[in-house]
Amino acid sequence: MSVQERVSAEEAVERLRSTLGDDVGDVEVRFGHLDATCSAENLRHVMTTLRDEPGLRFEFFTFLSAIDRSEFGGPDKPDKHGGLELIVHLYSPAHVLHINVRVPLDLADPRCESISAIYRGANWHEREMRDMFGIQFEGHPNLTGIYLPEDFEGHPGLRSFKLPNRAFIKPWPGAKDPEEAAAGGR
Amino acid sequence: MSKTFDRLVSGIDSDGHGAYVEEHDEESNSMVINMGPVHPSTHGVLRLLLELDGETVLRCEPIIGYLHTGMEKECEDQNWRGAVTIVTRMDYLAQFANEQVYSMAVEELLGIDLPPRAVAIRCMIAELNRLSSHLVWFGTTGLDMGAMSAMFYGFREREMILDFFEMVTGLRMNNGYIIPGGVWVDLPDGWDAALEAILDVMPKRLDEYEALLNENPIFLERTSGVGVLSRDDALALGATGPIARASGVDWDLRRDMPYEGYEGVTFAVPTATSGDVYGRYRVRMAEMRETLELIRHFADNMPEGDFKNMDPKLTPPPRSELNRSMEAVIHHFKLVTQGFTVPEGETYARVESPRGELGCYIVSDGGTSPYRCHVRDPSFVNLQALGPMAQGQLIADLIATIASTDPIMGGVDR
Repeated sequence: MSVQERVSAEEAVERLRSTLGDDVGDVEVRFGHLDATCSAENLRHVMTTLRDEPGLRFEFFTFLSAIDRSEFGGPDKPDKHGGLELIVHLYSPAHVLHINVRVPLDLADPRCESISAIYRGANWHEREMRDMFGIQFEGHPNLTGIYLPEDFEGHPGLRSFKLPNRAFIKPWPGAKDPEEAAAGGR
Repeated sequence: MSKTFDRLVSGIDSDGHGAYVEEHDEESNSMVINMGPVHPSTHGVLRLLLELDGETVLRCEPIIGYLHTGMEKECEDQNWRGAVTIVTRMDYLAQFANEQVYSMAVEELLGIDLPPRAVAIRCMIAELNRLSSHLVWFGTTGLDMGAMSAMFYGFREREMILDFFEMVTGLRMNNGYIIPGGVWVDLPDGWDAALEAILDVMPKRLDEYEALLNENPIFLERTSGVGVLSRDDALALGATGPIARASGVDWDLRRDMPYEGYEGVTFAVPTATSGDVYGRYRVRMAEMRETLELIRHFADNMPEGDFKNMDPKLTPPPRSELNRSMEAVIHHFKLVTQGFTVPEGETYARVESPRGELGCYIVSDGGTSPYRCHVRDPSFVNLQALGPMAQGQLIADLIATIASTDPIMGGVDR
């Protein structure tokens, strides 16, 4: 890995736009990282282009993860709640660039193309996300459990999966606020 | 993949982790055996499913998850400060690197600056951590190859460093010392003398280690040309740290993407081209010497001043303030009961841990606890390279290969 040419974030946004066009949605720069959205159907194409395009050359696969935004902002801000999002973080050693590729997925039936044929390192990460979020990566060579037992029920990464030791098993028996207490609650 | 192999991977034992049997595959005359999860040379609870032809490894599939405790999920239930105590337990031999990378991500979202003393303390302690981690690797590697004295030597020196950690942080492991905003307590009186003792003795001890193993014919026989990982494979698999550097990937985040105190500091990044176990050994040994220089650099240039960001929204006010200021009492109460909030956003921070690129992806929804905290652990990624490394070599060489990968199962499984 060697640095060939340091490309500014603005220049990189331009290059992304010109090579991928409508294949990627919004492209912005956050905390010095490029941030792009793409659809699950386009993911493999976008990844291949990002890796092979001479002006970009995102050759180093950093990690793959997912975020369940169904409780984002807490119960008071339902307008911020979202769905499931896959994140692929790539790095271009030649141009010293980072990119987060975001893929919105359907929370009820998350499916996505596997990128392990493009980045071999993604193999275990995809298995991890299958365990934690139930994402089905189509075309993965061996999409079996990696952390959880085969008969484990549920996907712990999802917000709907509550840790038993954190949930309140019984409701709080007393009054919750002074008005309630004054009205006769204990 | 043979038929037997398929069935074995998907079968279930009492732990739900796949069948525990030895079987012959009639067609290919190969044998499938389990190595681990409780095998002394697998460095924790790593299980390897091996397909063997006699003594030759045809396929090696690491099976992990025996130490999985859902720490990323657990972080979502802690406040921002409390999650430090979770991340420090992930890669338990590089605890400070974990704390540092988590804190860096949170600080980036908070948009705060650190006082120079905090930065210097963090970098110094993280470099000491690199030393102590490599010493464990040195000891266990020696032990795996029958050089038991290496184990005693490595752990003897590590003890000095752990004593220093105890003196500074109060704990030997899982310190929870680096927090968002700085470090939680200043260096104690006499820290420089204690550090000087370590820096004094280490170069001599490193000479001793190298005299013990560098030219040792048995060690050479067991390590050179063993567990070779090509440069292309290392890149494709995302391997980082000493493993990638031994395969000729000249890459170190401290130099190439400097963070915190590494900006403007010059140091050599040792590399090797052989890509074998011996190459990794040489890289780590050379790295320890560089680390000593870095520790000395940070210790000599230790600035005076605050050791954490004194923003009252982030750091509880000093005890004496509480008697005088109502504001201080409110801040104190807020911080103790619910902790501080972090503005909405998400970011990825990275550091060079002893094992490679350790990254932390943090998502905040503006609340008092992380909405999502994903840790890219180098052990997890590097362990993927074990399969390609082991393929085609003898089962005895596999032991040396595992030792050179230096996986920490706490980090792999999280």
